[in-house]
Amino acid sequence: MGACMRVAVTVWENRISPVFDSANMLMIAQVEKSEVVERSYEQVSTQCVDQVARTLCDKNVNQVICGAVSEESALILENHGIELIPFLAGEIELVLDRYIKGETLETFVMPGCFCRCKRCKMN
Amino acid sequence: MSDSQLVVEETTATILDSISDGVFTVDHSWHITSFNLAAEKITGIKRNEALGRFCWEVFRSNMCEGDCALKRTMKEGKPFVSSSTYIINGQKKRIPINVSTSVLKNKDGVVLGGVETFRDHSLVEELRKEIEGRYSFGEMISRSKAMQDIFLILKQVAESDSTVLIEGETGTGKEVMARTIHQQSARSDEQFVAINCGALPDSLLESELFGYKAGAFTGATKDKEGLFASAGNGTIFLDEIGETSAAFQVRLLRVLEEREYQPLGSVKKLKCTARIITATNRNLSEMVEAETFRRDLFYRINTVRLLLPPLRERLEDLPLLVDRFVEKINRLKDRQVKGVDEKVLGLLMEHDFPGNIRELENIIEHGFILCKDQAISVQHIPSHLQKSKPLTQKNLSFENVVDDAESKLILQTLEKNNYNRLATAKALGIHKATLFRKIKKLHLSLPEKDGRNTSIQ
Repeated sequence: MGACMRVAVTVWENRISPVFDSANMLMIAQVEKSEVVERSYEQVSTQCVDQVARTLCDKNVNQVICGAVSEESALILENHGIELIPFLAGEIELVLDRYIKGETLETFVMPGCFCRCKRCKMN
Repeated sequence: MSDSQLVVEETTATILDSISDGVFTVDHSWHITSFNLAAEKITGIKRNEALGRFCWEVFRSNMCEGDCALKRTMKEGKPFVSSSTYIINGQKKRIPINVSTSVLKNKDGVVLGGVETFRDHSLVEELRKEIEGRYSFGEMISRSKAMQDIFLILKQVAESDSTVLIEGETGTGKEVMARTIHQQSARSDEQFVAINCGALPDSLLESELFGYKAGAFTGATKDKEGLFASAGNGTIFLDEIGETSAAFQVRLLRVLEEREYQPLGSVKKLKCTARIITATNRNLSEMVEAETFRRDLFYRINTVRLLLPPLRERLEDLPLLVDRFVEKINRLKDRQVKGVDEKVLGLLMEHDFPGNIRELENIIEHGFILCKDQAISVQHIPSHLQKSKPLTQKNLSFENVVDDAESKLILQTLEKNNYNRLATAKALGIHKATLFRKIKKLHLSLPEKDGRNTSIQ
């Protein structure tokens, strides 16, 4: 995870929002050399997922970490070329830190789910 | 723990595991402390995976973040019954549920946490969609007998390509029906073009419909295609056909008979391949009798005649239409208004709706402006609707009720017949002299015109 990238996380206070479809805040983290160098916050309305997806694309975000997400919303985001890492729960900074360092996210997976990030799928 | 306490615990667990509603309890820090069998089944999460986790990580409802029922219950100490929401399971599926919450207290009244009960509403939702599907036809929705009878034949009418006449009061959905017919027809991929014939004077109406050549009249600097040409092989909807002049009716009749028309200022005839649907809020057959509408044109446009009932005659559709408008405006304005409350529905059921469905939509839109994403309540609707109509002693008098009804009927019939007294008497099935006597007795004030001077060849 060395290159520059932008990752968004759905926010609920200091935790990942439990349900993407009702989240109303995104934190966008600029990551360089496995460190968060900048954070910005964007208020969104996930009632219109298409609009959210376009906002993310405009801001060059191509990965989203979130909680539970419905099939419909997931499809819209993926159709915009956004990689979704859903069904995660926990404090944002902890999850993000693990993610950008390339470490496993198993401990943050919601009950009854499995980790859907590319690394875990490959393993 | 003593033996008896163990027995009580085991009995409680057995009871909870035997019911079909999901039940879970939380402590003060929102960790799940119990999770019954039905909760496992509905959420797809095993009890041992749920226990000790934050409730929002397990339940995953769209209300967890902003409007958690359990949070409100724990804060206010009051139970909260029956709230509809959805949860998302591990397969990304939304499961509609109905939720109730209560405070968990020990025998000393000390709050231990909260309990949430939830029921899987998937089947109810499916049935609701199926029933709604039965009550829908394209954009239209109704459970009334009159409309269901229309829905039964509408597909065949649409596919037949015949000229259609839609009659109904203003705001009853004539254009919506015309569009629905177009969408269900073989012309659905072609244009749907609408024009209000009552809004334009003859000269403008003809130039709009037939188009014109450059130089046809002052201001015609270049050729312009008319709506018949724009419609092409699609559908042209002529609204308020009853408001057209005698001269225009002659021209329209020729187009319908010969399927040809001439743009203004042109000598060349063009083919009309569009399907024609007309509409009016007048009673055309009465106008024909009163000689204010051409009989030959009436029979041309009347191949299929559909009568849309006014909203006051289909009040059983009010909840369906309210839901439809709430859903539509929520979508357009990105809001989450939960509908109207029971008191508002009751007040709406008492209203006459002279503006019919259009008026209802305006009322709901008015409600949206004033309410903030809860349910629309009485203070959010227009003030003239906010009070129930009282039944006063005067209103209850039989004579007054009969007189009111007679006045209303006479005035409505006069208006429909353009104040032609003879035609009105005929429509009401009474002698002209009787009509005059009733007008005098009921002190009805009428306009000067009497509708006798608009007869046509």
